Amino acid sequence: MRRLFTVGASPLLSNKMAAAAGSGVKVPRNFRLLEELEEGQKGVGDGTVSWGLEDDEDMTLTRWRGMIIGPPRTIYENRMYSLRVECGPRYPETPPFVRFVTKINLNGVHNSNGVVDMRAVSSLAKWQNSYSIRVVLQELRRLMMCKENMKLPQPPEGQIFSN
Amino acid sequence: MAENSGTDPAVETNTEENAAASATIIKVTVKTPKDKEEIAIAEDSSVSQFKEEISKRFKAKQDQLVLIFAGKILKDGDTLGQHGIKDGLTVHLVIKTLQQQMQRQLMSNPEMLSQIMENPLVQSMMSNPDLMRQMIVANPQMQQLMERNPEISHMLNNPELMRQTMELARNPAMMQEMMRNQDRALSNLESIPGGYNALRRMYTDIQEPMFSAAREQFGNNPFSALGGNTDNSGVQPSRTENREPLPNPWGPPDASAATTTTTSGTATTTSSTTSSTTPSVSNPLGISSSSLGNGMFNSPGMQSLMQQISENPQLMQNMLSAPYMRTMMQSLSQNPDIASQVFTNNPLFAGNPQLQEQMRQQLPVFLQQMQNPESLSVMTNPRAMRALMQIQEGLQTLQTEAPGLMPSLIPGGMAAGIPGAPLPTGVNVTPENPPPSGPQQLMQQMLQMFAGGNALTQTPEVRFQQQLEQLSAMGFINREANLQALIATGGDINAAIERLLGSQPS
Repeated sequence: MRRLFTVGASPLLSNKMAAAAGSGVKVPRNFRLLEELEEGQKGVGDGTVSWGLEDDEDMTLTRWRGMIIGPPRTIYENRMYSLRVECGPRYPETPPFVRFVTKINLNGVHNSNGVVDMRAVSSLAKWQNSYSIRVVLQELRRLMMCKENMKLPQPPEGQIFSN
Repeated sequence: MAENSGTDPAVETNTEENAAASATIIKVTVKTPKDKEEIAIAEDSSVSQFKEEISKRFKAKQDQLVLIFAGKILKDGDTLGQHGIKDGLTVHLVIKTLQQQMQRQLMSNPEMLSQIMENPLVQSMMSNPDLMRQMIVANPQMQQLMERNPEISHMLNNPELMRQTMELARNPAMMQEMMRNQDRALSNLESIPGGYNALRRMYTDIQEPMFSAAREQFGNNPFSALGGNTDNSGVQPSRTENREPLPNPWGPPDASAATTTTTSGTATTTSSTTSSTTPSVSNPLGISSSSLGNGMFNSPGMQSLMQQISENPQLMQNMLSAPYMRTMMQSLSQNPDIASQVFTNNPLFAGNPQLQEQMRQQLPVFLQQMQNPESLSVMTNPRAMRALMQIQEGLQTLQTEAPGLMPSLIPGGMAAGIPGAPLPTGVNVTPENPPPSGPQQLMQQMLQMFAGGNALTQTPEVRFQQQLEQLSAMGFINREANLQALIATGGDINAAIERLLGSQPS
């Protein structure tokens, strides 16, 4: 099972996808998610967020895990926030469901269950199909750096949302 | 094309080292927010083996490392294979610095916390509202705040209130109760039209600066790491339930918007009250038990801090220059009782009652010395510190090599915590020891000069001759007691009188 998702499969896919995106064709969900899987394993980006499948055997590529490293010079500094991301059947046309597992106090995140209200996050409110799990995580991290959030008092480390 | 007859040196060394492992070596990139390294490791290694390699390369301790791959944290017991880590993939690394470690340890250890709280020393410190007030007031940010909001200074000057705050801080259960009550009260308040807005206004005016002040005060200071309490302000304006400042805390708990009860946080914060304190009516400054407790000298965290200090003179410098430290020293020196308690409870001195005695006597002098800007600058000068340590070591060696020569020297253990200053003080316990001869005298005088204490060449009796006479003229006939009082107060007659009066049965 796992072999299907190895790195080797990718160059072909990314070429196809680049071509597809350029011509305005909708990229099939699974291709897109496979590429995101690969990017997650290769650590594409600046190393401040990480993502991957929750379960390697998940053939539907639906349930993902994300990790955000709290940005420096904010109250989130050096904490690690674990998230769950669910990419539904209509992803990437529709945004994924995102929720924090690690407890956090952040505008746009429900205090009771960690669910992220995408409409409340300005950079994600107007979802584009070019957005990805990485974009979601990076935008949430950027959100932590906003003035209105960067000093919000936080629960002690290590707590998780009970829901 | 070059042949790969000699294989990769990295692979070679690894195969040599991991002879036991079946070793397909893979190259994994380890990325921190700052940099990245490629690490070769056997494919079937465990995460902790991987961390070993990483700790060498990144020069960090293994338990400071946190590894993340594909959105999951890698636990030491897992294997790389379990997570699907293969050649060419990237693992993210976060290196936890010391402060965070301490914080985490403390927060995850409620027993330690309650131990600290139960420590009689802590309790006595907290039951002294004057001391607390001094410490708080001395913080420049608090002072600013107080200027802007005279109500706060009223609050601080109200001993009843302070005492209650201390009570609360000491008793987490009680605190939780209070918070729950306040939550309810506040939600009632909100339902009053206009009430919410008024509350909110007050929050932004008063509480926020107070909290940032409180937070910064605790945060700029290594002790805060011990306290683990960077979140002692639990506020957020946009949520409806919370946190109002307290213009008139003990005003009647009526529903008028002007006098309002403060609240604590949401359910989240109430459940974690032991470690993070939100301000409340009775706890206006969010004084948290943990941060107070951790200001004390004998928590385990403090001990490791002490260790580090001796390893790291820079840290010592920072610590001493922290204004908080200075005010604490000041308050300690004005309160010789507490200071003596602090020192006697310090495990450094615990095993040695003789030492304690000496310390106790030398205490006022010692504290004065700490205040002396010269000695302070000596302490913050790493070279001077090093020189002092060398002297100390030399003396120690001398003592072991030629014990007969230096009977009046205190063992080096005394100075372990704060090298330098106690040493000269220690040496000045001449009254109790046979009069020094020749070289000893020279040494002592040298050290005395060092200490900048000029009154120390004589016995307390001689020193306080004048004061003793005054006291006996006033009617205090117990010369012994007078002497003790004078020693304790460093020659301050008024304070000595208070002591004498205080010790008399009423």
